Amino acid sequence: MAEAAPTVARKNDPALNGRLYVKAVFSGFTRGQRNQNETSSILKLDNVYNKNDAQWYVGKRVVYVYKAHNKKNVAGAAPSRVRCIWGRVTRSHGNTGAVRAKFHKNLPATALGQRIRVMLYPSNI
Amino acid sequence: MAGAKKATPRFRRNYELATGIMRFSAARMYHKRGTALNKKTKVAKKAVAPVAKFVTKKVGGSKNGGDRKVLVKKGPTFLKEDHVLDTAAKVRRNPKVQSLRKSITPGTVLIILAGRHKGKRVVFLKQLEKSGLLLVTGPHKLNNVPLRRIGQSFVIATSTKVDVSGVKLPETLTDAYFKRTHAKVEKKGEKADIFASGHQEYKVSEQRKTDQKLVDKAVLTAIKKHPEHKFLRGYFSTRFSIRKNQQPHAMVF
Repeated sequence: MAEAAPTVARKNDPALNGRLYVKAVFSGFTRGQRNQNETSSILKLDNVYNKNDAQWYVGKRVVYVYKAHNKKNVAGAAPSRVRCIWGRVTRSHGNTGAVRAKFHKNLPATALGQRIRVMLYPSNI
Repeated sequence: MAGAKKATPRFRRNYELATGIMRFSAARMYHKRGTALNKKTKVAKKAVAPVAKFVTKKVGGSKNGGDRKVLVKKGPTFLKEDHVLDTAAKVRRNPKVQSLRKSITPGTVLIILAGRHKGKRVVFLKQLEKSGLLLVTGPHKLNNVPLRRIGQSFVIATSTKVDVSGVKLPETLTDAYFKRTHAKVEKKGEKADIFASGHQEYKVSEQRKTDQKLVDKAVLTAIKKHPEHKFLRGYFSTRFSIRKNQQPHAMVF
């Protein structure tokens, strides 16, 4: 990835447009027609359209980030309203690139259709 | 057998009947050999004061016979055989250091995926022996990443490599050097204070600065020798990020 040297040295540049995760949508829990299993979530990843590609993401860590009214303490930073639920991609789901994930705490129903971040670590490249 | 040319196959005097079970026990063999008869050592019998095995103790109650004989030395409550599982070989915990991925060799440019330096491209120097963590450097001048440790899982190895064979790392760069030191916690009601203030201010030690300069100087000259050094400078200064419609699973790093 060769890029031309920028004229301005941006040394302490916070990762502004630095997205280091793959966007995904929480499309629902694993389910049959009439019953659902809340412990396992189905994520639809951006730009992943088949089972082979989805396999790459298995094992990667996953976060659901959301905001709440009350501020909570954050390790090493000021208390903030941003909260997250972490999880991992457990396996692929179906043939068109969806993926199953399990979170430390089951996702709330309000997360349906919301953005979930699929991180690039633990990496194996 | 001396002298016998065509001796009929003969079993040894003592032989194995089944795995570990000999025909004659060691004691039997000792007597069979006849050495016992030649032994003349005789130990003079020491006069041993007879130790009372029982002690008579009085017992209450009119119908209980008045006294009991109590053993002076009680045998073990549990036989050794009951504790076989307890004495199972205690395995020494020697966790292996995580093996380095084939794509990571000294001089590889890595992309850091997490932490305050996420997205930054960094030069891999070596894997530390004790922890297995990767020692990397920015170089600091290019992207503000100091000599630092990272775990292998939090890193993508690119195919870009810098020839760092000429870089001599100081012997002092070990896990102990990088280990975090926590200031002693004052327990006099200061607990709440520490959590609220967050980190204690980290001050870079002079040793770190000199080591950084030393290593970076060598690394920067190595980068200059690279055929694409003109682009590498900018490469190191910019962060990696995923853009629209990019597919990490299909990318060749």
